[in-house]
Amino acid sequence: MPAAAALKVLVVDDQLTIRSLVRSGLQQLGVVNVVEGADGEDGLRAMLMPAPPNLIISDYNMPKLDGLGLLRAVRAHEPIRTTAFIMLTGRADTDLVKRAVQFGVNNYLVKPFTVATLKEKIEAVFGALT
Amino acid sequence: MDPMEAIKITFFQECEEQLAELEGGLLAMEAGEADSEVVNAVFRAVHSIKGGAGAFGLDDLVRFSHVFETALDEVRTGRLAPDPNTVLKVMLRAADVLADLVRAARDGGVIDEARVQQIAAELAGCGAGGGHHDETPAGAEPAIEFTPLAFAMPVLEPELPPAPATHEWIIRFQPKSELYANANEAALLLRELSQLGAMTVELDSSMLPQLDALDPEGAYLSWTITLTTERTETEIREVFEFVDGDCELSVESAEPQVVAPTPDVFDVMALIQKVQAAPEMAAAPPLAPPASPPAATAVVAPRPSPPAAAAAAAAPAEAANGQGRADAAAAAPTIRVDLERVDRLIDLVGELVINQAMLSQRVMEAGIAGASAIGMGLDELEQLSREIQDSVMAIRAQPVKSVFQRMSRLAREVAAMTGKQVRLVTDGEGTEVDKTVIERLADPLTHMIRNAIDHGLEDAAGRLAAGKPVEGTVRLSAGHRSGRIVIEISDDGAGINRTKVREIAVERGLVSPDAVLSDDETDNLIFLPGFSTASVVSDISGRGVGMDVVKRSIQSLGGRISISSRPGKGSIFVMSLPLTLAVLDGMVVSLNEQTLVVPLTAIVETLQPKSSNVYGMGGDARVIAVRDAYVPLIDVGLLLGYRTDAMPAGEGVALLIESDGGGRAALLVDAIQGQRQVVIKSLEANYRHVPGIAAATILGDGRVALILDIDSIVAVSRTGDLATEPKLAMVS
Repeated sequence: MPAAAALKVLVVDDQLTIRSLVRSGLQQLGVVNVVEGADGEDGLRAMLMPAPPNLIISDYNMPKLDGLGLLRAVRAHEPIRTTAFIMLTGRADTDLVKRAVQFGVNNYLVKPFTVATLKEKIEAVFGALT
Repeated sequence: MDPMEAIKITFFQECEEQLAELEGGLLAMEAGEADSEVVNAVFRAVHSIKGGAGAFGLDDLVRFSHVFETALDEVRTGRLAPDPNTVLKVMLRAADVLADLVRAARDGGVIDEARVQQIAAELAGCGAGGGHHDETPAGAEPAIEFTPLAFAMPVLEPELPPAPATHEWIIRFQPKSELYANANEAALLLRELSQLGAMTVELDSSMLPQLDALDPEGAYLSWTITLTTERTETEIREVFEFVDGDCELSVESAEPQVVAPTPDVFDVMALIQKVQAAPEMAAAPPLAPPASPPAATAVVAPRPSPPAAAAAAAAPAEAANGQGRADAAAAAPTIRVDLERVDRLIDLVGELVINQAMLSQRVMEAGIAGASAIGMGLDELEQLSREIQDSVMAIRAQPVKSVFQRMSRLAREVAAMTGKQVRLVTDGEGTEVDKTVIERLADPLTHMIRNAIDHGLEDAAGRLAAGKPVEGTVRLSAGHRSGRIVIEISDDGAGINRTKVREIAVERGLVSPDAVLSDDETDNLIFLPGFSTASVVSDISGRGVGMDVVKRSIQSLGGRISISSRPGKGSIFVMSLPLTLAVLDGMVVSLNEQTLVVPLTAIVETLQPKSSNVYGMGGDARVIAVRDAYVPLIDVGLLLGYRTDAMPAGEGVALLIESDGGGRAALLVDAIQGQRQVVIKSLEANYRHVPGIAAATILGDGRVALILDIDSIVAVSRTGDLATEPKLAMVS
């Protein structure tokens, strides 16, 4: 049973609003270690730093490198290959989720979301948070 | 503040940025300049607004942006052609509606529901045939078959970086002749590579031709290197960074890959190199978003891992190692800072500059030679202070783009109201000027664009008769010229009707019937108070506001405006404004032992009054003859109470000034000391408001000098002593 405090989460979205909402939700779940990226490339850069996050929550539609590109990059780069990845999607985009599954996404989260849904999605990946 | 409220404020700020992006993108598409990146950015802007609006339950906004997004998706996927005359016209109006909806959601207020519905219907009409996006009710889970991928969390115990395992790599390296031509040396690269671990090198010289066929500048050799190292592929490739493109290079693992690579080609190394070369940013918590309690990100790392901030600090070093291959196209990182902090900084730098000037003067007075070490140090200090001042002023500077973009919406609306076809061309949107100047430019620009379309451009019939295209062009441009920003508004309309302008001016008593005026002088009559060219007050430009108001607002920013016009060809308004409001170009004058500053922009010319030119008007009131006109002569010393008796006629110096209100007067002072740039200090903030005084400044010798408020001095002098106000505003 993982402790929420042991999670380090990278939140990637081109909107500060959404990043703030996810961060605020994560804080309510007891996750304190949160870093942010403003697009896929920015997120990847954060993953290449020492002590990379162990969970990525990333938007799909972003400039420079989209969420799918970030997912593929993470899965293709050995040192960070096993990082858990939750894709944020704007709507019931079946095609997108299918492609994300193909590239090894762990879960997805539809905007707008509640803190309860966020918790549920993270726990489906890591088991119940404490 | 409730964290959600704080995020909501962020949301509305971001909406403004996205609306600007949306409009800019649509205008680019309209001009046929859009590539897929622009279309994507436009789509993303609406998509983002919808996403955020959903989170805050702003249903009207979600509904409309959904319809908009759907239509844009049709364009994005190529199912709908972005025709400038149909689809984009609708989309531009939809962008206006979206902007109204965002502002209504933020500020409250009423929305023209019928208009929203109509545009939504038109948008839906554009995208007819698509409509495959089903509206998902907010919060509802979409029906997607999905099994979450469970994940064993690997990081519960504090871990050291995993002991790097050595790995065997096969590197194939074949230089092209360019490599040698660029003064690189294969041997040096191999030597550098050998630093990474144990290696064996195999030379392939099979490409080497016979001596008679050998090009001395050719490249014929290649190497296969087996390298055993704990370094990563990236680090190996870094050795070859400078010869990138000048050689064939492959780096492969000698051992079989543990993970099967993704089926299609995805060059993650290239991507990683790209992001690491790009300027470092944002991986650190960007600007602690308002919702997070302070330092939340830095606190609880239960292991000795560096928190995000430290990680970010490490990044510049990495970027530097990347040898400045920073992608120039990458957008420069930005931060948001409280305006108050910036203003405080500007204030402090102003103090610094004053202090430095005082210090220099003291040192000079102390007789220390300019060539001494102290003198030279002071010179450097002065240079640095000026540079700091310029840099700090630049923080407040913003591109005029924001206000220019508002004009394109205005032009659309005025065009619709007048039934004219108008193309607004903007240029120099990236020109930067002080934020306050930008904000206060909106009103005069609005008025002038309205005027240009409503009065400047002929109607369709008139244009055809004049042999011009039906679509009129209004051009709005900005640029820097000699330390000021110059904004021009031109139209290709009929130009100023000088006969009519003159008639009106005479009729209103603004100019005498027998005055001899040049064409330029006639054109500039439209700036006089009480002048309005519209013989029929129209709904658009009328409103009882004339060009005098425009001129006044430009002058209150320390600017000037003029017009030139060519009959049948059009008119051009030229405005020149200071880049900042924190410093002022002033004329330093002395008056009864006091030092005063007169804003340079207000001064038309300086005069040496002869007693024969000065006429008493009863009491202390006097006028001075300036060529063929009479102007009130204001004895500043008397007005401000520096002396009790009027200065004798023929003494002192007169400054012919023009107030913001357009009125002219001559200010009588003892002497002129010279022109100087002064730092403006608020008198209200430090003392209290004094009539006739706009602000204060501190001069190099430490004395406080008052900056005259030209407008109020002219007003006070008129209401006070000058009972008979001569209506002689026009002086060449």
